[in-house]
Amino acid sequence: MSDQRFPEEMLARWHEHDWQFIHDAPTAPRLHMAIDEVLTLEVGAGRREPTLRIWEWDSNAVILGRFQSVRNEVDMPAAERHDVTVCRRITGGGAMFVEPENTITYSLYAPESLVKGLSFVDSYAFMDAWVLEALRSLGVNAVYKPINDISSDQGKIGGAAQTRRAGAVLHHVTMAYDIDTPKMLEVLRIGREKLSDKGSVSANRRVTPLREQTALPRETIVERFARTFDELYGLTPSTLTPAELESAERLRREKFDSDEWLYLLP
Amino acid sequence: MARHGEYKTPGGKLVVADVVVEGGRIVSAEVTGDFFLEPETALASMTAALVGAPADASERELADLMERSLPEGAQLIGFSTEAVATAVRRAIDVDSPRERV
Repeated sequence: MSDQRFPEEMLARWHEHDWQFIHDAPTAPRLHMAIDEVLTLEVGAGRREPTLRIWEWDSNAVILGRFQSVRNEVDMPAAERHDVTVCRRITGGGAMFVEPENTITYSLYAPESLVKGLSFVDSYAFMDAWVLEALRSLGVNAVYKPINDISSDQGKIGGAAQTRRAGAVLHHVTMAYDIDTPKMLEVLRIGREKLSDKGSVSANRRVTPLREQTALPRETIVERFARTFDELYGLTPSTLTPAELESAERLRREKFDSDEWLYLLP
Repeated sequence: MARHGEYKTPGGKLVVADVVVEGGRIVSAEVTGDFFLEPETALASMTAALVGAPADASERELADLMERSLPEGAQLIGFSTEAVATAVRRAIDVDSPRERV
């Protein structure tokens, strides 16, 4: 467990930006993947201010990490049976099982200068310090478990993933608000080696969703996340520009919808 | 048919190796997992370095081959070239089946 403190001069960097806030309408999983890549590049190019985007999903999904193999992670017939869109994201890390009402997802897009001097591992906790504070304000004793797990004394809540492109860092997080464990275990393949140092062979005991930990509606938690970020660093309401949306739609068609990308590692 | 091996770095990430051996050499290698790697293209460099290696190369030798293939400044987060080498050796030596619990 880690309850890391960062130097004041590093924390002060959060205040150097006019943070933009996008809260999506429900959006298709593969378009979300494309929006993440486009906004990372836009922030890197200085065309967009650093941004917090809270996602809303419009369908079930499995989101594979950049370096995962489809056949090792997903039971494709089960995914089809449960109307699950399978996609590959641009960040590493593990597969996420998403159902729209059960999931809380957000992205941060920032210049790399925000995490300058931090190791890759430390930058995960740094990018999520605000969300730990939000969770604690809801009575969840949240901590960061390196490298990229957000957890509490009651169990794992979610995971983060990062990548760096063109001078920008993309940091995104998916948390379980609720979880249909039998369905998840039908769709995802979770092998023994992966659990070998987790002290449990039961995948469904690893995650304790936020509904169970807070007894609050999902919307209340999402609102608290945005409010906490606003109170700490300030937030200016924003939306995707028509040009950003057009780029994302194109990238979705050309990359994220393609079998070449999904089966990059078959 | 590719031989399959897995290794999870304690406190880190899973590495999965699918390796084909012919004539005493690795002729193809696929490395996957839930690790983090920058730049993303470093993965292809590592797997290319494995191809042609003797099937009885030690973990150290396999790790060194991959280490030398990495672009300057590459970052392996949650795993290492040694972890990949362990997964590759397990694939060749044990060929564990894919499994789920």
